[in-house]
Amino acid sequence: MAVPGSCLPGQTPSRDIPAPSGAPRLPPGNYSSTPGGTVFGTTPGGTRIIYDRKFLMECRNSPVAKTPPCDLPDIPGVTSPNVEELKIENNHVHNYEEKVGAGEEAQFDMDI
Amino acid sequence: MNNKFDALKDDDSGDHDQNEENSTQKDGEKEKNDRDKPQGSTKRKAVVPGPAEHPLQYNYTFWYSRRTPGRPTSSQSYEQNIKQIGTFASVEQFWRFYSHMVRPGDLTGHSDFHLFKEGIKPMWEDDANKNGGKWIIRLRKGLASRCWENLILAMLGEQFMVGEEICGAVVSVRFQEDIISIWNKTASDQATTARIRDTLRRVLNLPPNTIMEYKTHTDSIKAWEEFHGLVNSSGR
Repeated sequence: MAVPGSCLPGQTPSRDIPAPSGAPRLPPGNYSSTPGGTVFGTTPGGTRIIYDRKFLMECRNSPVAKTPPCDLPDIPGVTSPNVEELKIENNHVHNYEEKVGAGEEAQFDMDI
Repeated sequence: MNNKFDALKDDDSGDHDQNEENSTQKDGEKEKNDRDKPQGSTKRKAVVPGPAEHPLQYNYTFWYSRRTPGRPTSSQSYEQNIKQIGTFASVEQFWRFYSHMVRPGDLTGHSDFHLFKEGIKPMWEDDANKNGGKWIIRLRKGLASRCWENLILAMLGEQFMVGEEICGAVVSVRFQEDIISIWNKTASDQATTARIRDTLRRVLNLPPNTIMEYKTHTDSIKAWEEFHGLVNSSGR
């Protein structure tokens, strides 16, 4: 079944290179260069885009990752376009979990 | 009430696509009318990674469902309860959604987040799911947010190494426990299901005694039908 945007095995995992627009360009992504970060792994199914948890968590801090999507539906109690409100809530939950998950804190420290 | 995923069975099989489009359209109407809704079409623009973003192997769609309190499950179709939150194509786009969604541990009531590859509906009957199944892990309260995050990061980062087999992941917030599950395409492929199980243990850092259950969607459908009395018990 064809999944839109997917890379099928045996095909070059190519994607359209987004054309630079009027927006200021950020430096290119750290493909294959960040320690512990992005890896393009080769598996029996072909080359796949593999990221480990640490790298994904680091991407959370990039400026572009912090603005809410323009089409985010407003579902009360589930989504919120208000960044600050949720940040506070997330921190609260995070702290709570650290207390509960004794001995496991280190793994779940956020990089914020 | 155990892990029935009751809402996941749709009575009106056959016209999913239409229902899906309609309900999605309704839910997103406000935003979409303001923005880039193509005229005369319910199709959205293809989601692509932005400049300098880190592309994912697949596009994924976040969904949210909640059982309406006070009504029997059997009278509610899946489409009435599920909302598409949005689709993303890059790591950065994922965080834009995730950072503006509450964490599962803060959801109230009988709620689920679903994260599925774009084009696969979080339903047993979808072509990608109909021969599949899921690994289920029941979690005591307080663990769901952390486990869900680790689960979906592993999925987005292609940590499972099972080719095209992964369909999506679900976190289900229930009264006394929470449940996370990961769905794959081929329930009969034991090498794949074993690999998914082992990866789950690794990425979730589960205690060795954690019980993990594999359930085929065929069994889920049967259980749902029996639970709702849709099968004549004398015939079994």
